[in-house]
Amino acid sequence: MPLKNKEVSLLLEKSRLLSQSSMNDFIRNLSASYEVYAPIKKGKQIVFEKVENPGEIVWDYETTQISPKKFLHKPFEKLFSFEDGGKIISENEEIAEKKQILLGLHPCDVRAVEILDKVFSKRYEDPYYLKRRKNSIIIALTCNDAHETCYCTSFSTGPRIDRGYDILITPLVDNFLVEIGSPRGEEILNQYGEALSTDSSILMEYHRLKNAKLEVIENKIKNKMNTENLPELLEQNVNHPLWDNLKEECLACGSCTIVCPTCYCFTIVDKVDLTLKSGQRQRVWDSCMLLEFAEVALGVNFRRERAARIKQRIYHKLYSFEHQFYIRGCVGCGRCIRYCIKKIDPREIIAEIRREPIEQQS
Amino acid sequence: MKKPSVGVFKFTSDGGCQLQILNMERELFDLLNLINITYFPMAGVDSGEGPFDIGFVEGAVTSTDEIIRIKEIREKCRILVALGACACYGGIASIKNQKTQRELEEKVYTDLTAVHSTKAFGIDQYVKVDAYVRGCPIDKNEFIEVVKSTLLQIKPNLRPHSVCVECKLRENPCIFLIEGEVCMGPVTSAGCGALCPSRHRACEGCRGPASDPNTPSLARTMLEYGLTPEEVRLKFIKYAGETQAFKEGAGIK
Repeated sequence: MPLKNKEVSLLLEKSRLLSQSSMNDFIRNLSASYEVYAPIKKGKQIVFEKVENPGEIVWDYETTQISPKKFLHKPFEKLFSFEDGGKIISENEEIAEKKQILLGLHPCDVRAVEILDKVFSKRYEDPYYLKRRKNSIIIALTCNDAHETCYCTSFSTGPRIDRGYDILITPLVDNFLVEIGSPRGEEILNQYGEALSTDSSILMEYHRLKNAKLEVIENKIKNKMNTENLPELLEQNVNHPLWDNLKEECLACGSCTIVCPTCYCFTIVDKVDLTLKSGQRQRVWDSCMLLEFAEVALGVNFRRERAARIKQRIYHKLYSFEHQFYIRGCVGCGRCIRYCIKKIDPREIIAEIRREPIEQQS
Repeated sequence: MKKPSVGVFKFTSDGGCQLQILNMERELFDLLNLINITYFPMAGVDSGEGPFDIGFVEGAVTSTDEIIRIKEIREKCRILVALGACACYGGIASIKNQKTQRELEEKVYTDLTAVHSTKAFGIDQYVKVDAYVRGCPIDKNEFIEVVKSTLLQIKPNLRPHSVCVECKLRENPCIFLIEGEVCMGPVTSAGCGALCPSRHRACEGCRGPASDPNTPSLARTMLEYGLTPEEVRLKFIKYAGETQAFKEGAGIK
């Protein structure tokens, strides 16, 4: 795509080229002031964990099972502790002091954070999430490849990304093209990263390489979700026979929601210690796919049927999210497909409804 | 407040769940501040025959003598808790239910005159049970949760969903998808912290069915992974073959 001169100079102004060794130095320097989390190899998996040594970072990873949202919306977190007599000690102060860098997020995961930002601030401000978010710097990473389960292009959440990051890194040849996305990103890059080159013709060449790479990735994503008039389509197909068929296959194990980067549901538990008087209030990830999720007092459950829970997951992501948060709840990362034992695929669900929508059946 | 009296009773089992109670070195003293254990023969405590505020029963019921005894214990306990897979749904011993008692008795005993074995069932086959602590053996944190909740008179916070939730949270490689083996995790109740898959071993289903277990679907996947119908059946009858959900998975009507 041809850029105007002004756009080119702006792009180059925000770009740096770092060598492998200066990238390592950059990350090492950051580790002195921040907790740095990045994709590293752990057994047979790539997981986001604290980086001890920049050499551990896997730059060409496919995806992680649990998304980096775990550093913002924690799977388990203590909200406060309570003592005999009613004294409450909040955790907020501790959260406020911990500064972290989330490094190596693919565009889909960056855009998932954008969704969570809306979830945790739109109607109710969640102090725990928002404090962590404020203290987090996001260093995005351009994808190395596209995989069978990737469908980010359906939601324009990747592989190109133009917002949501403080810094964007693209490994190219033996070097790293680094782009600044925010004043905070610029500040840490200037402070901790030594540029190999700021020469505009060299930078321009690297941008061309990046663009070529992105085109290859985009073209590789063939299995997309057709999102045209999606809310209307779903509205008309609440009673589609497909939902009942899915319940025969779905294990209702909840894995799809646990691995989803935009799922945010949680439950609150009071953990009383063995004095029976003091303890802590905890927040724990929960899932709409689980039977207990919609259980209320006296054992009443308004989503007892498995089909109703499957429908809830799909409808929330692709339909009601827009009404709630003015954004779609899916970024097409493909984790729910990749980690489903039964290979239940939202792309297939939508395609099947489109093949035989309810209105044409009668 | 008078400390509630507690009895721990053993039926047909290997004593592993009782041992889990004794293994709680860190919590045992604090627990004993809350409860008064008056009957626990394995721990050398036998100071009376009740009544008890809470009775914990380990083991399956597998003989006519045990049927009579579990009913007597129920009479003596205000709250009765099934402790572990055997007491909850028959456990390992219930594998024998696939054959007739006579066949099994003849294999094990030479003189059958005094043998009166029955099919192995969890204790709720015969008496009302107020709470279940699942697993083979039990998880100590769940045991403590049940004790605390009983004393506070609130519902214990046990999460009966699939093991997969805990397994994913631990970021384990999926036994099915990464290790390429079959696993009972998707239909088995959580609470163990995905203990076995965290050590790269498939879930064996020792905690019995999860809250909405789609066992026929999992059984179909197991066949796709190359298991024979007989191998699938053996997976489902290992710990909880008497439960409706696992019966369906095993194809036993």
